[in-house]
Amino acid sequence: MMKFRFRRQGNDPHREKIKQDLFAFNKTVEHGFPNQPSALAYDPKLQLMAIGTKSGAIKLYGAPGVEMTGLHKDTAAVTQIHFLYGQGRILSLLDDNTIHLWEIVQRENRSHLIEVHSFNLPGRPGIESTSATRVTVMLLNLGCDLLALGTEGGGVHFLELPTLTLLNKSLFQDEVMQSVPEEYKCGKSLGPVESLQEHPKDSDKILIGYSRGLVVLWDLNSRHVDNLFLGKQQLESLVWERSGNSFVSSHSDGGYMVWAVSSSNPCTHDPISSTIPYGPFPCKAVNKILWRTTESGAPLVLFSGGMPRASYGDRHCLTILQDSSHVTLDFTSRVIDFFTIHCTDRDKEFDEPSALVVLLEEELVVIDLQMSGWPTVPAPYLAPLHSSAITFSSHISNVPPKFWERMISAGQQQCPLQNYDNWPICGGKNLAPDPKQKELLLTGHEDGTVRFWDASGVSLKPLYKLSTANIFQTDCDHNDSLTQAGEEEWPPFRKVGCFDPYSDDPRLGIQKISLCKYSGKLVVAGTAGQVIVMVLSDEKSDHMIDVATVDLLQDREGFTWKGHDRLPPKMGPVVFAPGFQPVVLVQCMPPAAVTAVTLHAEWNLIAFGTSHGFGLFDYHRRSPVLARCTLHPNDSLAMEGPLSRVKSLKKSLRQSFRRIRKSRVSGKKRAVVNSPTGKVREANAQLAERDAEVTPVQRRIEPRSADDSLSGVVRCLCFADTFLRDGTHHGPTMWAGTNSGSVYAYALDVPSLEKFSEQSVEALLGKEIQLMHRAPVVSIAVLDGRGTPLPEPYEVSRDLAKAPDMQGSHSVLIASEEQFKIFTLPKVSAKTKFKLTAHEGCRVRKVALSNFTSVSSEEYSENALVCLTNLGDLHVFSVPALRPQVRYDCIRKEDISGIASCVFTKTGQGFYLISPSEYERFSLSARVITEPLCRMDVERPHDLSAHSSSTTLPPQANGTHKTQAESNSVETEDLLEEMRSALSSPVLDSPNSSADITLDTTGDLTVEDVKDFLMTVDEAENNFRNITEEDGRPPGILIN
Amino acid sequence: MNRAHHPGRAEKFQASEMNRSFSNKSQSLRSLNMNAVEVKSKYGAEFRRFSVDRLKPGKFEEFYKLIMTIHRIANMEVMIGYADVHGDLLPINNDENFCKAVTTAHPLLRLFIQRQEEVDYSNFGTSTLTRKKKAVVTLRNDLNRKRPHIRIGMPQDFRPVSSIIDVDILPESHRRVRLYRHGSDKPLGFYIRDGTSVRVTPHGLEKVPGIFISRLVPGGLAESTGLLAVNDEVLEVNGIEVTGKTLDQVTDMMIANSHNLIVTVKPVNQRNNVVRSSRISGSSGQSSDSSGSVGYPAITGATAISHGYSPEDLESDEESDIVIESNIKRPSRRSNASVASTASRSQTQTTAVTPPSPPTRPQTRPPSTVSTASFHSQPSFNGTVHNSLSYKLHKDLTLQNNPYHSSNPVMRDSNGSLHKILSSLRTDPRHSLALPRGGVEEDGTVITL
Repeated sequence: MMKFRFRRQGNDPHREKIKQDLFAFNKTVEHGFPNQPSALAYDPKLQLMAIGTKSGAIKLYGAPGVEMTGLHKDTAAVTQIHFLYGQGRILSLLDDNTIHLWEIVQRENRSHLIEVHSFNLPGRPGIESTSATRVTVMLLNLGCDLLALGTEGGGVHFLELPTLTLLNKSLFQDEVMQSVPEEYKCGKSLGPVESLQEHPKDSDKILIGYSRGLVVLWDLNSRHVDNLFLGKQQLESLVWERSGNSFVSSHSDGGYMVWAVSSSNPCTHDPISSTIPYGPFPCKAVNKILWRTTESGAPLVLFSGGMPRASYGDRHCLTILQDSSHVTLDFTSRVIDFFTIHCTDRDKEFDEPSALVVLLEEELVVIDLQMSGWPTVPAPYLAPLHSSAITFSSHISNVPPKFWERMISAGQQQCPLQNYDNWPICGGKNLAPDPKQKELLLTGHEDGTVRFWDASGVSLKPLYKLSTANIFQTDCDHNDSLTQAGEEEWPPFRKVGCFDPYSDDPRLGIQKISLCKYSGKLVVAGTAGQVIVMVLSDEKSDHMIDVATVDLLQDREGFTWKGHDRLPPKMGPVVFAPGFQPVVLVQCMPPAAVTAVTLHAEWNLIAFGTSHGFGLFDYHRRSPVLARCTLHPNDSLAMEGPLSRVKSLKKSLRQSFRRIRKSRVSGKKRAVVNSPTGKVREANAQLAERDAEVTPVQRRIEPRSADDSLSGVVRCLCFADTFLRDGTHHGPTMWAGTNSGSVYAYALDVPSLEKFSEQSVEALLGKEIQLMHRAPVVSIAVLDGRGTPLPEPYEVSRDLAKAPDMQGSHSVLIASEEQFKIFTLPKVSAKTKFKLTAHEGCRVRKVALSNFTSVSSEEYSENALVCLTNLGDLHVFSVPALRPQVRYDCIRKEDISGIASCVFTKTGQGFYLISPSEYERFSLSARVITEPLCRMDVERPHDLSAHSSSTTLPPQANGTHKTQAESNSVETEDLLEEMRSALSSPVLDSPNSSADITLDTTGDLTVEDVKDFLMTVDEAENNFRNITEEDGRPPGILIN
Repeated sequence: MNRAHHPGRAEKFQASEMNRSFSNKSQSLRSLNMNAVEVKSKYGAEFRRFSVDRLKPGKFEEFYKLIMTIHRIANMEVMIGYADVHGDLLPINNDENFCKAVTTAHPLLRLFIQRQEEVDYSNFGTSTLTRKKKAVVTLRNDLNRKRPHIRIGMPQDFRPVSSIIDVDILPESHRRVRLYRHGSDKPLGFYIRDGTSVRVTPHGLEKVPGIFISRLVPGGLAESTGLLAVNDEVLEVNGIEVTGKTLDQVTDMMIANSHNLIVTVKPVNQRNNVVRSSRISGSSGQSSDSSGSVGYPAITGATAISHGYSPEDLESDEESDIVIESNIKRPSRRSNASVASTASRSQTQTTAVTPPSPPTRPQTRPPSTVSTASFHSQPSFNGTVHNSLSYKLHKDLTLQNNPYHSSNPVMRDSNGSLHKILSSLRTDPRHSLALPRGGVEEDGTVITL
């Protein structure tokens, strides 16, 4: 680890202590909607909901702020989750046919979800086929001491809970077959078990439904068939009526049947009723059906699927039926599972469902079943961030309360139901203190919307949604055709949910956002070179937008733009709801995507850049101040737009070749050989193999030249009040950095506030800096005389920040992809630098200046440069000395979109996308940490957790961080051993077992530390010694 | 083309040398005796006659200085040639050939002074001076026509392109190559690839991933040096080991260090190695490319790699960023016509926004200066080179009113594009000769005959 490397340089224990107080890396919480959910469960007693994902994660949600995450060791999809009601235990079934038991445990006064036991159903002796023992359904009895497993082979097995020991009373098909009449058998098997349902009144009886259609009521005690229901349609699911007198079965033909259960008739041939709701034409299967009784009368029938195959076979629907009320909820993504929240008290006569919770592939929808019309309930968490693909994100910390209120009121007028009081899932206690300051996360989307999220706490709540599409004339003006036509249509569709990945026009996509939190001004820039200046207004408005065009080519000849057209603005006045209302639209010519934008509300200026140049615009006077072309004469590629045919063909060819190459490499499975002779043999085999390979991957070593394509792309822009002309007069300046390492600095002449209307802003080129290594300029920031970053506009004039030091000499920090350099001002001469690429071989992707406050004292804070590299690791450097402080692995280097989406906050936190729909929040600061802090009080008859609490799965574990889990595998094997022995011995300890203590003493050593050890072989020895000497215990072992 | 700065350094060095040693050496020149050699020096149409001591001719630098003084051509770059006994024109440009010229001068030493830029190098070594041996001359000239001379400049014009360094501390199976791209328009020109190298360890052969040179670009720097070859294993880049780094990382490191790239390789062809008997060498971490031979098992030396670098070496690749400073006057409230027109009110399509950049003609262009931002505090070879470069840049841009410079089309371009300035730097060889020579005007210790 870097830590050790730097220790050699500055071996200052005092500094090390300060660093420990300032920096600590934690992945704290995941915001958004889990990627690829695959299972859903609900515990009515604890009022907790669980969602399983295809990557093997289990996420628990209760009241807002109550969140827990568990991650299976193997990356296998979670196919089913079941709660052991009230016990805080969860059973999960994975795709690899293993069953895992999870428990909520209290540690450090908060709850964690940990895995305590796992089970794999052994194959039937003598039968090799594994598919026969593949678990299809699971049933937990109400007493939660017995688990029934239905298998593909048609057998039903029983496990004792919570120990997961197989009981010797499995029920195989042949046993059932004996009671089946001859004419039904016709020599065929009954098929896999499709459904297992416990009798609501008699816990000794279970209903077993086989795929072929046969349903059996089985008595567990007497081990004999009570009733037989000879269904002839392929079965999909079963559900009991609350009384236990009847049950409902759903079938693959799109119908459902109601069967009466009577002890007098052991063999029922026909159901009471059989309905195909969307018939008579062939329909798709009804995958799941729920039957809920109500006191008011007709039962509520809820089922998914069953749509007419030909006309609506591609819709994702869920039907709610009650008497004459019929609603077909039409979702935009697949229905994974659903449940109702209803009365589970056995003494009550009716179910009385209050809410329906539907888990879709891309969002969670909750329907209020008590209110008429069954409206949707907005969820306080699991926000579908990706309702349209996220194209840009930005974080604003410490939002002024006034601005916050105005935004919330604007948001409430958009969507009045924005209080979460009637949220039905409310288990657990949120222990996290109220956030000290309001934080805002802005996401720009492909469809031209900007969404405002409350990022102050653990759950990301939607605040306000801004659409920029309405000021342009786009091809398809959708005027809610779907809702209008829906009235006469059969089935009665209702569009539900907000996941809408289809963008009307790709040009609407948001590229950059800049917000001034003090003045409520916002600049939004998009794919077609549009830069929109907006102002937050509390009143409705109906006005025309001023349009200006800025030619960034500046009469350069020989260039023809072959890309998309600019977006035509709407003529005439447009009505705008309260909220951010557009004032000026600036359109860049050529209309290439905006690559950088910045706003200085105090000077009424915006600056924007594209791949062709940059411009400065005075939005108060609606007049352009400056336009500058940054194109290199040799750069012809820049002129072809993103839709160019030539380029895309080249690109697609390249990509397909890469894919072929990749598949070739990954296709080679290499056996692990341990013996030295085997190693040599393997090496030789590989040599032969490699000779056969035609072209190995190779990289050209060529310094960046000026005529690289897209060298003119403006990468960053910044405004600063500093010394550019001379050392005595400071004034407004604007800085622009390009892809080819050029930096342009302009001195601005901004008239004073009174004269703003009369005088125009002027810009004069003050400096041009060409970085010799020509690496793209990622960021520019000006530091004051004390080496601290300049405050934001209005911060000083409103007494919100300390005025910058204007006495000492300022300096400018220019971060390129390869190195950081600080130059003095006004005479630009290099002062300090750090060459990251030359030393580490990684390139800078994102940088930010953050302020880190010490955990030991609120008074002490340091400014630091935070940097994310293309390898996905985070570096922190001191400012202005540019000394490396700490380094952490954060994102997998293959996760390019994750790295590209990373955004830092001013207080040392950050966000990045771990999937299209989820932000991982991390913290580099030892003080500012936003993580779930919740408590879930549970009572369990047999507590396993005392023994297994040494399973130190990181609480933040998630599907995207598989590496951690994999590297754990060695230890987990031991763990399993230990657990088995623990389980076999009946001794149960108090919760404060010794295991807890060992956990604490392992200190802050993480798996990453260990991995880093193994990587740097030459240093490993030294490090090893360091650690053993310092800590007095063996490193890298999590479980002793 | 681009040897812009290297001569500058050489000359500075020369000049200082001269200042120190000229005065006492000139004493010997003054003492005339029987060993005096008569010198007849011709510059253009002018002759000068003087003498030097045959036995103690002294240093070339002093002699050069003498010539400059005698001919009163102090601020000029000249080339001194002499006619040898065969009548061939030979250059005098170092102590050795100066000594030779003096000692072999038969009756007198005939010198021919030419301005550096007028020197026709193809004349050297040919007997253009004598008409007697015509037959031989024609023969030679024929040969010359068929195979033109490779033009070899004077030592002060030489510039390093590549070097093998640290041979004394590296195991002989390794080679540390430094490629200088400064002032060269040639690309570095090589490719690297992933590969596996087999190392001999106490446990037997061990296969480790390695980085190899996969291809050399024809005509590129790497190929023309002959120091790197395809399938050489790359062990270090600028002192940082590549073990554990990915191909992309190593690529980035090389590109980031491209101005002064130092790569340590294990050449695939180990036959050219110098066998040093003085030490038992080799390395414990012996490696070879899979396609190469496995061999040279040895014990020591590996440690030398990691300690081979002094911090100066690592820091010596200072590159200087170019800063162009426009002299900003307090901007006057000028009413720019186009801005005013567009400023009226939006809606109007503002197609041409005139940037307040300097107007197009050089006469009215505000004086601007160019300076390089380099780390002056660290004396380093390249640093000095850059200072001279920056000096030139500075000079170019401040002396714009000089007709020569303002006639330079590149400079006249108002856009002042950095690219252009840079390219003009690279392509204009005259800049390399336009250096001032300080300290040339010494007090006259001139002997005239």
